[in-house]
Amino acid sequence: MFLIIIRDIGITTLISGGLALILVIAQRYLNDYGLCKININGKREITLKGGSSLLNSLSENQIFIPSACGGRGSCGTCKCRVLEGGGTLLPTERPLLSAKEMADDLRLACQIKVKTDVRIHIPESIFSIRRYQGKVTKIVDYTYDIKGVTIELTDPPTIDFKAGQYVQLETPTYGKVRQKVVRAYSISSDPGDKKHIQLIIRYVPEGICTTWIHQFLEEGDQISFTGAYGDFFIRDTDVDMVFVAGGSGKAPIKSMLEYLSRVGTTRRMRYLFGARTCKDLYLTDEIHAFEQVFDDFEYIPVLSKPCPEENWQGRIGYVMPVLPEVIRDPTMTEAYLCGSPAMIDAVQKALIELGVPEDKIYYDSFG
Amino acid sequence: MKQTPQELLIAQRMQPGVITLSGFLGDDPRPLNQIISDDAMTLQRLGVTGMEIAERMEHLTEKSKQVYEGSIVVDEMYEIETEITRGKLPCPYPHRGLQRKTITSCTHLSSGIKVRWTALNIHMIKEHGFFEGRGSPFRLEPEILVKVLFPDEALGS
Amino acid sequence: MDINAFVLFWSAIFTSNILLTNFLGMCSYLSISREVESSFGLGMAVFFVLTITAGLNWVIYYHILVPFDLIYLQFIIFIIVIAAFVQLLEMLIERFTPALYYTLGIFLPLITVNCAILGVSLFMVIRKYSFIQSVAYGAGSGIGWLLAILMLAGIRTRLKDKMIPQGLQGAGISLIITGIMALAFIGFSGIVIIQ
Repeated sequence: MFLIIIRDIGITTLISGGLALILVIAQRYLNDYGLCKININGKREITLKGGSSLLNSLSENQIFIPSACGGRGSCGTCKCRVLEGGGTLLPTERPLLSAKEMADDLRLACQIKVKTDVRIHIPESIFSIRRYQGKVTKIVDYTYDIKGVTIELTDPPTIDFKAGQYVQLETPTYGKVRQKVVRAYSISSDPGDKKHIQLIIRYVPEGICTTWIHQFLEEGDQISFTGAYGDFFIRDTDVDMVFVAGGSGKAPIKSMLEYLSRVGTTRRMRYLFGARTCKDLYLTDEIHAFEQVFDDFEYIPVLSKPCPEENWQGRIGYVMPVLPEVIRDPTMTEAYLCGSPAMIDAVQKALIELGVPEDKIYYDSFG
Repeated sequence: MKQTPQELLIAQRMQPGVITLSGFLGDDPRPLNQIISDDAMTLQRLGVTGMEIAERMEHLTEKSKQVYEGSIVVDEMYEIETEITRGKLPCPYPHRGLQRKTITSCTHLSSGIKVRWTALNIHMIKEHGFFEGRGSPFRLEPEILVKVLFPDEALGS
Repeated sequence: MDINAFVLFWSAIFTSNILLTNFLGMCSYLSISREVESSFGLGMAVFFVLTITAGLNWVIYYHILVPFDLIYLQFIIFIIVIAAFVQLLEMLIERFTPALYYTLGIFLPLITVNCAILGVSLFMVIRKYSFIQSVAYGAGSGIGWLLAILMLAGIRTRLKDKMIPQGLQGAGISLIITGIMALAFIGFSGIVIIQ
């Protein structure tokens, strides 16, 4: 009797054990794609263990394709041209690609797995994007909802960027947030200081990253980001420049002004800053100080709803009506805009009406 | 009601901290498809479709965007203000396209009822019939929404 | 049981449809039948797994369980075999046809607990089918299940924007439709009866 029980248990274990063994072996064999090569633009070749997504494989090798959703296949920003080895188009990619993009071999880097040798093509500028570790050295309150965060780079210790470019900050998991998210912020410091970057961040209700920065981040904390991204930087010409900013949009323009004051310029510059009340103004003295540095620079803050008790002496209204006064020759003017998408839309429309060429109006693409 | 694997995937993306800080489901114990079908039933009772609601919301939001800062009175009935922040959000449902981060506050002047919605709200009502779970910061109760958006029809029922 | 495997195959689809006469596999049938596309994916997955596990379980039953007098363990063993096979199939599909994996693969874990799969293995034992008969019965039942869920999904997509009394929405109306479908299938049952 006892023996029979033992035998029965033995056989059952044998069957399930055998099946488990088959599964383990299958897992080993099926998930092992060996070493795969990724050939980028025909210039660089990286060799790595296959099996993970193209996006992750590239980022492990310090190549950062911009991605807004962090590889969840929902944003469609990580498109890249896969010339060879991408396999068939997956149903998860189809909704995010247009017919033309499909014909151009564009794929979502986060969805395709590296299983064989892959040949891809990415824009040159992505090559210079790196992942950085840093330490928060200073947090200042500019207004009730805007903070400036200074980060000292630790690994790698320096960063090259153009004034006006942005970085993508990674938030760690905190509170209810159990997944990493990435969000874009413009750099507000001078690119001459390669060891530090400063970001100006406005609190957004319900924002995952801004809530973290405003309520959880402390001086001394570790922080990681990738960058620098973007084609919002000063064009090297000698025509007039108009800067228009609102809210936290001061960041890239502060960086540009600091850069220009270091290298020197004789260009005529005007800077309009739109805000609601005096409480929304910040860094006013610092920017007014540039009027002494440059030959021809003027900073004009414009308030739309100054409170009576503030005794506001400056301009009242929106920034658009001020534009004709500060622009000498619309065809010989470059405009640099940064702020809320609504402001950019309104100012861009006003500038075009004034006769500023559309291709000379520059603003950040991540708005 | 059981959920399909896709619905589970979508519900996962609606959790707090995935796309938005507080997520889309709030503290609603009902599964996603139940929330949607309950709201659809409410709409059926009220005699309005999600499409009509979304189009009305879109119309009002567009009107309020004509001023780029501050509020505007639309149709002598509503005071509306839309605030746009930089950055875009994907929809928790898998498809192409990103939505601007906007918050529109709408006050119905004669009744004083105030509702607020985001661009993602409009999109999710229009395409997916989803009004968010109870307890979510951007939950839109269809009954209140219909009362505000279609005050004349609501009087009759 | 002396019945032609070919006949068994066809009768498993129509006259003794596993879902419409035995009402097995109801839970995934009710929950995944909202869209035709995903019901087709699930149905195909059920068909695959049914066909192969029927054969697999036949071999294990008659060559391991019967000789060692372990018939009382058949439930556990069948479930283990089904679960392991589904896992293996999932891995194979992911490796070799990623596109199919995204349409079919996500349904595979759901199938492990689909009672139609276990039901077929148990019927095969009770009705003393031969190996060929078991596989034919498995394949037929799979196609029958696929047919039933496709029909329900088709009807449900048409019902989407129709007025249905509040108490009947969702599973209620689906069960009524299934009942009517089952009645219609009784019409086939005079042709051949398998028991």
